[in-house]
Amino acid sequence: MLFPVESALKADANTVAATADYDIVIVGTGISGAIIAKQAAEAGKRVLILEAGTGANRTLAGYDDLLTTFYLAAGKDNQSPFPLNANAAIPRSPQLRKLQAGETDSSTYIVQSGPYVSDTTYTRIFGGTTMHWEAKTPRMLRSDFQARTIFGQGLDWPLSFEEIEDDYRLAEREIGVSANVEDQQYLGQTFPDGYVFPMRGLPLSYLDQQVNKGIEGTSVELYGETYPLKVRPYPQGRNSIPNPAYDGGKGYRPIGAVNTHQVEEGGRCQGNTNCVPLCTVQARYHSGKTLAKAFAVNGERRTPLVEFLPQAVASKVNIDPDSGKVRSLEVKVYKDPASPAYETFTVKGKVFVLAAGAIETARLMLASGLRSTSGLVGRNLMDHAYLLNWALMPQICGTMRGTSSTGGIVDLRDGPFRERQAAFAIDIHNDGWGWATGAPTSDLLELVDDRNLHGGDLRRGVIDRVSRQLLLAFMIEVMPVESNRIEVDPKYRDALDNMRPILSFTVPEYTMKGAAYARQFSRTVFARMGAQDHTHYDPSDFGYVAYDKQGYAIRGGNHLAGTHIMGTTKTNSVVDKNQRSWDHENLYLVGGGSMPTIGTANVTLTLAAMCFRSSRDILKSLH
Amino acid sequence: MYSYSIRTLDELKEFLHRAMQLEHATIPPYMTALYSIKPGSNQAATQILRVIVVEEMLHLTIAANILNAVGGTPDLASPGFVVSYPTPLPDGETDFQVSIQAFSREALATFLKIERPAQRPHHLVGKGLIERKTSPHTIALGSHPRHENLHFYSIGEFYSTITEGIKYLEAEARRAGTTIFTGDTSRQITSEYYYSAGGELFPVTDLKSALEAIELIIEQGEGDGGGIYDDDEHELAHYYRFDELVKGRYYQKGNRPGHPTGPQLQVDWEGAYPLKANLKVAEIEDPELLEAATAFNTRYGEFLQLLTRAYNGEPRLLLEAVPIMFEFRNMILELIRNPLPNHPGMNGGPTYEIPGNIQAAGSRQAEVIA
Repeated sequence: MLFPVESALKADANTVAATADYDIVIVGTGISGAIIAKQAAEAGKRVLILEAGTGANRTLAGYDDLLTTFYLAAGKDNQSPFPLNANAAIPRSPQLRKLQAGETDSSTYIVQSGPYVSDTTYTRIFGGTTMHWEAKTPRMLRSDFQARTIFGQGLDWPLSFEEIEDDYRLAEREIGVSANVEDQQYLGQTFPDGYVFPMRGLPLSYLDQQVNKGIEGTSVELYGETYPLKVRPYPQGRNSIPNPAYDGGKGYRPIGAVNTHQVEEGGRCQGNTNCVPLCTVQARYHSGKTLAKAFAVNGERRTPLVEFLPQAVASKVNIDPDSGKVRSLEVKVYKDPASPAYETFTVKGKVFVLAAGAIETARLMLASGLRSTSGLVGRNLMDHAYLLNWALMPQICGTMRGTSSTGGIVDLRDGPFRERQAAFAIDIHNDGWGWATGAPTSDLLELVDDRNLHGGDLRRGVIDRVSRQLLLAFMIEVMPVESNRIEVDPKYRDALDNMRPILSFTVPEYTMKGAAYARQFSRTVFARMGAQDHTHYDPSDFGYVAYDKQGYAIRGGNHLAGTHIMGTTKTNSVVDKNQRSWDHENLYLVGGGSMPTIGTANVTLTLAAMCFRSSRDILKSLH
Repeated sequence: MYSYSIRTLDELKEFLHRAMQLEHATIPPYMTALYSIKPGSNQAATQILRVIVVEEMLHLTIAANILNAVGGTPDLASPGFVVSYPTPLPDGETDFQVSIQAFSREALATFLKIERPAQRPHHLVGKGLIERKTSPHTIALGSHPRHENLHFYSIGEFYSTITEGIKYLEAEARRAGTTIFTGDTSRQITSEYYYSAGGELFPVTDLKSALEAIELIIEQGEGDGGGIYDDDEHELAHYYRFDELVKGRYYQKGNRPGHPTGPQLQVDWEGAYPLKANLKVAEIEDPELLEAATAFNTRYGEFLQLLTRAYNGEPRLLLEAVPIMFEFRNMILELIRNPLPNHPGMNGGPTYEIPGNIQAAGSRQAEVIA
């Protein structure tokens, strides 16, 4: 899809500051801000969208520059395509280290206050974290919305599954989800008669099929219940075969790469394994695709309704003390990512939307001195806890083919056991042990340095090692706990003199109980497949957590949530079920931060659905 | 001058087979130029060439859909389907040939001629097909399938003849209470199997969809009615995309042909491997290169057979063709990045001499189809 050329223009900060008639000012170009910008523009509203990053990647050339950075990077971590920018710094996991008791590490952008050190990341560039997401798009289960009532754990949502279901379908349309309804009807998930996803499901990888061969027909027992096992495909936000039956037979038109210069690229998923951090062909959804549609909407004067101001870091929310409404937003605009020089501007609008991600939105509120009546801003921080288990399969399984993850074991996403321990969903990683050990580079170094292989022996050695690698990533449920939180302190500031986020986190016992069971579960299924377990957790690992005489290396899942939690009153929550601030009636805090629980679903689809709901509420409030 | 109208269904099928041959013939030169570009250079050229190659594949498939719609049998594996490069293209004035060559000013000049708009130069307006002798064993693109020495001025003109033929034959059929669109609709390739952001594949089942399909091919190639965009005012035609590389500047909406005013783009004319133009297997002495060149040709032949099956009632096979395109890239890169012994300063390249494709001397396309 093409952006109109005008949209490649950056708005001028002085003009923006002199403009008094924005209907909506949005902070952040991730999927939340993008959906609200698009919905508002299509309803004829005038929108300003601010982005902390440079915005260079909104053209195909800029996107390709990120790919070049990725190709050249020695370490291929989540953030490797994204150039350093101290003015819009992002967490980078390779920089982390284990903390001593009581120690705080302020050497990285997120100040790690412990005791658990999280390698969770988010991306402060155009497109937000959808620029590096894996694009798995499962819905949350019905029970996930009522965790307190059903399991006595966590919180209930002020919304039921039924209330959000229509918006799930809108989110699936916007992202262009590829899945088959029949594959997703497990654990009581239902779909309306005749519903099909926009695109057909992507096939399971050969590795998935080999794992399935080893486990299908077997089951596990947990607290007296039996759970049959099977590998099921994940719904995915990447282009596959459009389903002609979609939308009552109208079909679905996939969106390729976005660009301003008439060059139409992108298309179908090609099965590269570097979905994270960056799809080479833009087959994977990113919110630039939604913004392309928003930028294409013109107003009465044939000028675009959505203006885009990059290199603009929101630094303070100004409140009118009489009405409690947001009066303006203070924004620091920098000229050059390499220089900390900035100018401060004040931006006005009727409605303000903070869509900067669960950590940055909370950080901005706290830095503005806005803790909310409930005092819950920044608290209840959640992120899926990942436990990695890895083994060598007895046979060659074609590891490294297919997208990052096509299938998994999801039958333990729900059950009565959730009264006592966390549920989990298991991803089968088509990219081998990379996440756990740095494979295949680590394999190559070992074969060369330790075993002195070269030539044909080395090639065969690499194939034998890598193509048998199996990594099961357990995505374990984490419930809201008020002491898990983001704070700010004037002591810790970034290059633009904004306060940095301080993260305090303890992995809850409920989750660790799930982790301990996950380890046991892995041993069982590895044995059934005849796979050789290579899992080990190093006590010096930054994410090492001791539990019940064992230790586990817990990884962050980048599924951040909870920091401006949604609820039923201004005393038990920060926002209402439309993500509107209880305290400030023209302020919406949107995204994962509003979620009261995250279940075992990657958060993007759910928060996208919530933003369609909020868009309607915002438009209603403007009338 | 000779002017020609299609008057029988068999003639129409021959023209449509020739249309597929014509669409396919643009792919080897564009694809070779694309892969000749050195990594890290010529970003704009890479994007433009890649998109155009992908759209030529769309055009090939659309031509197959039309041929299927009128009850024809697409055959990309028939002898002579793949032309021998260098090959002439429709042209009335200066004689030019299309070559397999590296990305260069010369290659680009040829590409512009391939995609040039349908309007004839002033002195040729109103005249019929252009007569030009070609050597007896060469197939000239854009030529009349039954009269090899008669040529169309442009690809657009060639398709206009098909459009008129379809209209004429369908009107005639309707008067007799029937239709020419008798093909099995399950043989149509739909957007499930092919899509890119530019252009959409739709089934051809009647006069309306057939004319729309031809319109799409013409507009993507040369623009709509003298404009630089297709009719959505959205997608820039191939001709003007190549022109952007020549002018070093992007077009934007409102621009007149030949006068782009968008942002500048960089072209590095040195940023391509120096592959030997129109290389033939017989010229390759190095055994490893020879093996690689032969392996590519064999695989390409298998690919055309797979496409033939896909266009003959097995559309799902198009999905299997996708990974083969990756193989082509890897095989071409191997050829293009290695020097050609005995040709100092020149590298190898794909020859597109497809086994089983060599046309017997004297045989005519018409016989192949019949």
